[in-house]
Amino acid sequence: MRFTPTELTADELALQAEVRAFLAEELPPGSHEPGLGMSARHDKAFSKKMAERGWVGMALPTEWGGHARTAVDRFIVVEEMLRWGAPVGYHWVADRQTGAVINKFGNDEQRARFLPQICAGELGFSIGMSEPDSGSDLASVSTRADRDDGGWIVNGTKIWTSNAHTNDWFICLLRTTPLEEGGNKREGLSQVLIDIHNTPGLELGPIPFLNGEHHFNEVSFTDVFVPDENVVGQAGMGWNQNTTEMAYERGGPDRWLSPFSTVEQLLRETSGTELGDRALELFGELTARWWGIRNLSLSVARLIDAGEAPSVESSLVKEMGTRYEVELIEKLVEFVDDELTLDSESLFRRLLSQCVLTGPGNTIRGGTIEILRSVASKGLQGLPA
Amino acid sequence: MSELETVDPLITETANRLFGELCTHEAIQAAEDQGDAPEIWAAFAETGFPWISLPEAAGGSGGTLLDALEVLRLVGYHAAPIPAAETGMLGGWLLTSGGLELPEGIVTVASDHSLTIGDAGKVSGTASMVPWGRSAERLAFVADGKVASVPVAAATVVEQRALSGEPRDTLTFDATAADVADAPSGIDDESLRFRGALSRVAMMGGAIEKMSQLTVSYTNERQQFGRPIARFQAVQAHLVWAAQDAALGRMAAESAGHAAYRGDGRFEIAAAKLNCNQAATRATKACHQAHGAMGMTQEYPLHHYSRRLWTWRTEYGGTSEWSRWVGAAAAEAGADGLYPLITGGSAA
Repeated sequence: MRFTPTELTADELALQAEVRAFLAEELPPGSHEPGLGMSARHDKAFSKKMAERGWVGMALPTEWGGHARTAVDRFIVVEEMLRWGAPVGYHWVADRQTGAVINKFGNDEQRARFLPQICAGELGFSIGMSEPDSGSDLASVSTRADRDDGGWIVNGTKIWTSNAHTNDWFICLLRTTPLEEGGNKREGLSQVLIDIHNTPGLELGPIPFLNGEHHFNEVSFTDVFVPDENVVGQAGMGWNQNTTEMAYERGGPDRWLSPFSTVEQLLRETSGTELGDRALELFGELTARWWGIRNLSLSVARLIDAGEAPSVESSLVKEMGTRYEVELIEKLVEFVDDELTLDSESLFRRLLSQCVLTGPGNTIRGGTIEILRSVASKGLQGLPA
Repeated sequence: MSELETVDPLITETANRLFGELCTHEAIQAAEDQGDAPEIWAAFAETGFPWISLPEAAGGSGGTLLDALEVLRLVGYHAAPIPAAETGMLGGWLLTSGGLELPEGIVTVASDHSLTIGDAGKVSGTASMVPWGRSAERLAFVADGKVASVPVAAATVVEQRALSGEPRDTLTFDATAADVADAPSGIDDESLRFRGALSRVAMMGGAIEKMSQLTVSYTNERQQFGRPIARFQAVQAHLVWAAQDAALGRMAAESAGHAAYRGDGRFEIAAAKLNCNQAATRATKACHQAHGAMGMTQEYPLHHYSRRLWTWRTEYGGTSEWSRWVGAAAAEAGADGLYPLITGGSAA
């Protein structure tokens, strides 16, 4: 394990400047309600504008509508969008992981069907992993697919599915070979693509978030037919593919920038006042920590561009980054020390209220920190994951 | 990608081998008991390492600041009980910057002092917490726009020790004749404080990494309930947290080194010291907890690293001081400038 310091090249700095100019023009401060990092609003028009700039599907090949850019280029665009609180929600999952999975494991027909639309910012994806009895123990999924003419018949239920009601398609991990007594549960799983809104037998319903918001869904399948052409990669190899997919989720700016728009707004609302030692210490600590974590996270993107698979490094960064997000939210609450409301006139207080309500999810989504520690610690000890 | 200046691998290799041979658990302990380690220093000086980054024309060994920081990282990694930073990139830097003579022996540096330079270059006053004051040939300091080199032989020395067990002495001078020169622009107490902080983060990055590695191997060997304790999730959490802080500390130190090598680098040094101070706090806690009672004994080497980290954590600025400094930089950058400060640092 080695994180090597790196700096942005002149071209990369030019891209950063371009993204900043775009955001200052499109979403000047005060003109929009910023999101909390990756918990961003869905705005199809904004996704389309980003796609027109070539900032969606950046790392995908040009023949499928992508831009063959580096992981670092994507990092630069993503960090700016997230820290700005830009509404990147609609294309977020497709851009971060599903496009990459289809490109890596799918066939040309699937690439042609999905990637150009993803790169155009016109296709939103949800992720079908968790089930009522399968969370951290993901290989225990019991949604099953039985062989049928030209495809599979799917039965089961996926839960906590983020934004299935606003997205278009669904990449779903399910069991295509029944698990035998004492068999290896990592075998016989497959990844399939399902149209959320045009599939007979698929039912969608909200699982209200703790504050009543509609974010999570329950997606149930009753004799849903999935044609063979919607199976990604090799049937039965879904576990390995899914593990690769999870690696795309880890260690990026989405895992440490969630409270940034909140902090920026605090600085905006205290501007012009004399900051006491307590405020200076708070701003100093968070600025320094973000500087340090960003350097680690950026070095992971460089490793990916060098053709490496830094799964231990990215797990370490994600565990550290999300834990810091939660710690920082606690510090901000202690700093403000007054009654919070989502209806406050102060944007900072509205954002902080939202941080408090959604914060516990930061160390859970995309793999709990307990699971990440297990992955990372095996890597540290040189054991297989 | 943007190529950062690299360190000659021969420096890393040679310093690693040298310290690996010399800085055994027993030798580090003996240095603590005796208050100095003349054999280790002699072997280190033989290689010219103490004077890396000081110009050859001034009696230094040449090389870059990054080379010097790499040696200091390995000083931290091996808990080498020697005043490497003081003789080279701190004290030696002050002396050569003013054109003063670089002695053959150990140079130490006063960062906390009431020293004054009187008529005819006579130095009076007290310097506290001076690293290896008792073993040094000269004490370097900066005051009133001048850099000075005072012979330590003329000082009254009160021997004290840091939490690490290493010497931090009080030196008092009474009208001692010193070599004095005008301090060039940019050489003052503040620049010494930043440079001192940079020396400490380099060593801290090395020490946290070593402590983290030590903890992985100990918890794989130590068996309880019939299996290595590293198999327990509660213990694994400590391994992961220590590894994170090792990565964060070293990354912060090396990033600050590059920034200081290329330009001003003050934001990066401040941010690095703050990160390393806090990483040291968390990592010493995690590593000690994972070691249990064994880590509390003198016979097991964990304390060589943890006690040094507790010492370096408060030298050249503790957490409160540096957090206020970085906080002031953030406030000055303002809401629109905060992220550019995080990504661009001193250059922003």
